[in-house]
Amino acid sequence: MIFHKNRQKASVGRRTKVWFFISGLVVFALLIIPYRFLMKTTSTDRFCMICHVHPHADQSWKLSTHHNNSSGTIVHCVQCHLPPEGEGYFFAKARTGLKDLYGYLFKDTAEIDWGKKKLLENAKKLVYENSCTECHENLFPLTLSVNGGNAHLLYTTSKEPVSCLNCHLNVGHYDKNAALHAHDSSFGVTVTSTEPPFAEPAKVTGFNNFTEMIPGTRVSFNMIALPGGTFNMGSPDDEPLRDPDEGPVRKVTLSPFWIAETEVTWDEYMAFFRATSSQGRTEGQVVTTQKTDAISGATPPWGAPDQGWGKGSRPAITMSWHAASVYCQWLSQVTGKKYRLPTEAEWEFACRGGTETPYFFEGDPKKYTSEGFLKRLIKPDTANIASRVVYSVNSASKTEEPSFVLPNPFGLKNMSGNVAEFCLDFYSPDFYTADSTRVDPRGPLKGQEHVIRGGSFKSDAKDVRSAARDFTKTKAWLVTDPQMPKSIWWYSDCIDVGFRVVCEIDTTAGKTDTR
Amino acid sequence: MDNINRRKFIGTAALAGIGLAGASAIISGCKKAPDNKELGLPPVLRGAPKGKKLRAALIGAGARGTGAAINFISSGPDLEIIALADVFQDKIDACRERFASFNLPIPEENCFTGFDGYKKAMAIPDVDVVILATPPQFRPDHFLEAVLKGKHAFLEKPLAVDPVGIRSIITSAKKAESVGLNVVTGTQRRHQEDYIETYKKVAAGAIGTITSAKAFWNQDHVWFREREPGWDDMTYMIRNWNNFCWLCGDHILDTHVHNIDVINWFLGKVPEKAIGYGGRARRVTGDQYDFFSIDFDYGNGISSHSMCRQIDSCANVTGEIIMGTEGYTNCQNTIWDLKGNVIWQFEYPKDENGNPMNQTVIPPYVQEHMHLVYAIRTGEYVNEAEQTALSTLTAIMGRTAAYTGRAITWDEIYKSDMDLGPAKLEFGKVDMAFPTPVPGTPVITTVKPAFNGQII
Repeated sequence: MIFHKNRQKASVGRRTKVWFFISGLVVFALLIIPYRFLMKTTSTDRFCMICHVHPHADQSWKLSTHHNNSSGTIVHCVQCHLPPEGEGYFFAKARTGLKDLYGYLFKDTAEIDWGKKKLLENAKKLVYENSCTECHENLFPLTLSVNGGNAHLLYTTSKEPVSCLNCHLNVGHYDKNAALHAHDSSFGVTVTSTEPPFAEPAKVTGFNNFTEMIPGTRVSFNMIALPGGTFNMGSPDDEPLRDPDEGPVRKVTLSPFWIAETEVTWDEYMAFFRATSSQGRTEGQVVTTQKTDAISGATPPWGAPDQGWGKGSRPAITMSWHAASVYCQWLSQVTGKKYRLPTEAEWEFACRGGTETPYFFEGDPKKYTSEGFLKRLIKPDTANIASRVVYSVNSASKTEEPSFVLPNPFGLKNMSGNVAEFCLDFYSPDFYTADSTRVDPRGPLKGQEHVIRGGSFKSDAKDVRSAARDFTKTKAWLVTDPQMPKSIWWYSDCIDVGFRVVCEIDTTAGKTDTR
Repeated sequence: MDNINRRKFIGTAALAGIGLAGASAIISGCKKAPDNKELGLPPVLRGAPKGKKLRAALIGAGARGTGAAINFISSGPDLEIIALADVFQDKIDACRERFASFNLPIPEENCFTGFDGYKKAMAIPDVDVVILATPPQFRPDHFLEAVLKGKHAFLEKPLAVDPVGIRSIITSAKKAESVGLNVVTGTQRRHQEDYIETYKKVAAGAIGTITSAKAFWNQDHVWFREREPGWDDMTYMIRNWNNFCWLCGDHILDTHVHNIDVINWFLGKVPEKAIGYGGRARRVTGDQYDFFSIDFDYGNGISSHSMCRQIDSCANVTGEIIMGTEGYTNCQNTIWDLKGNVIWQFEYPKDENGNPMNQTVIPPYVQEHMHLVYAIRTGEYVNEAEQTALSTLTAIMGRTAAYTGRAITWDEIYKSDMDLGPAKLEFGKVDMAFPTPVPGTPVITTVKPAFNGQII
């Protein structure tokens, strides 16, 4: 009897629990189903495409390995452009959604530079590393090549941050110009010109502009004679958006020199590469201190250093400071002149072209800059700067040919913008205070990194000012070079640095004839 | 005599294996769970468990290879060697004869000579396990093939002779892991019960915080072969492989890697940098050194003095010493306090007269194979290739420091493109010169210069 009662009690309790459970389930379902539904419908590719009115994103995705592959798997927008669930997914979704909604309502999609978003540093902001590794759990499949193995070992052991995108930038959106990740041993081997090559370099008889001709090639370039003089180097304290390393302003006197009208082009650089390229990496290491007749130049690069943008008269890029310096040695040798990189003072003198304003043309950095919240709403009038400087606003996220811009008062092109240019000097932030040389100053005696000047196609208006200073970042620019020793000839992770040459007056000859 | 001993040994080991496996199962059932697994230590086994028959191919049928193959079959029940590969027919013949004498014949059609013999042996579908025991130059290619063919592997140490080979081994190890292939390596100290027990004590703080280490493998000269009439360059070098760096990696890899591996194991890391020296005083053939002295810098002021020598009539002894803030250990069986009092000693099993023996019951060479078979049969996954590759690379870093005279960093050696092998593996004349390395040479060439004289 007691036993029976107990059983009844138990069954009542159980029934209540079951009801509780069921009603809880219903409430849960009522809440979760619309939520899940909402989450699901707002995460489809179609939903993304409602706002993203840039059909090439859709097309390039469909051509990419994340859509067009032998396994039949399709990787959807949110699988790369949002983090995995549970790792900030909802926050990122909300933020991205709001950003897209704002863009949809207030922005003209035709004006958005989609190409720029494909740049590595921008792509890193749009793709989540954890999302890559969420699907790609096995970095060492049986089919992995030796190079792939080396790269993935670098990825798993590097103390420096290495992103999947460093090597796999175009896996989500196909790019026909994408650089192949392979040792390009045929780089620069083919020569197309049929005209007879120059037999002699330019003969210079006086201190005038001249056109240099590289013997044995069809390559020539213009050198502009700058008479030297005294100028104010650096930016005054009241210059908008200046950095402290640009001051104090000091009066510097320079001797006359020639400077190239444009940045060293791929045509010029390839002439050097063809004439001197070395196959073994060890040969390259020996050359640094050697002063022999035979200059041993760059090794073949990994991938395409021109980024698939084309060579010709576009500025040569991604070579190391060392490579640029060996280029000058070689150019001096084949032309019988004294070519070298400009000192920082020579560079700024040439860039200013006699002006003392922030730019060599009229304009206020504060107005031109794109940084700051208000700039997103009110677009400044950039016609003046855009006609003279290739920078973040008017560039297609790549270098341009010299014909793209107007020259500065000295007739020089792309001093500001296009590619940042190596200077001869080591960089030191307080050098203007520390140095007392006022005639032909040459930078600190020792240092790690060299000055680069002029900003690049990636730069904000603030960083293409005549006085703006920057410097090489050797370690960061070689992060994904999986070799050790790392290449001394090519930077693996810097695509907007190049250089231009200056030519010294040969005083040893006792006359201005440099021959 | 030799044969009889080995045969007897196999019988005893097998019996002991079967008997002790049962006994240890009962004992371990009563004790609390062993912490070997948590500490990343291999299980100490008395025999491999029963299971599906495992058939192995031996790649490299020389003395160590044949020994390893015997260790394999004696590590438990239902283990067979069914295929052989070696570049030389006489090595295969000798190995087959040895196995025939155990009544364990290896079919002739499963024996392959030449540089690609390993591929043919690994192509046999019945082969479950490969034992890779050639000179280390060939290990990376053999291991990759084994992984691609889906074979579990035993890799004799060292695992490669240059960083290119090391990276290949590590990549293949990760591939093996991704498809569930077990890999055990021949750094046998990691499988020795006395070392394992000492490690546990040190890990539990018996000597305090580790402050420095010493590793040494100083011994008499090792074997070499002088060139015989009729041997071409390649034949001669492979017959005398222990004396050519591109095949052997020098003795800092070949033998001293055991000590280096123990130091890396106890310190729980690899060194950041190596500076050292070495030279060649008494070697007769080849291009290698006969002594090295290396300072391995593990960071935070901790270094390990690593030395190895192969010269007769010297103060020759091998082992390791690790110093801590509260004591020191020989890593093998004893821990002292800072005053030199023994505070712990490993208890070796007793012989029939009740006297403690100076070694473990199961030889470590067999213990390794027990572990491999255990892993395959129980699903307790094991893959020691990366760990041993890193210790081999540590030795390569030391060797390069001595050869060049430069300080070599871990990052530099890990990514180095040093590749010591010839472009093509084939018998005949070899166009390579073999200068003995001279420290202070600015750049160590990774490509051997062409040479027209006779290789000695």
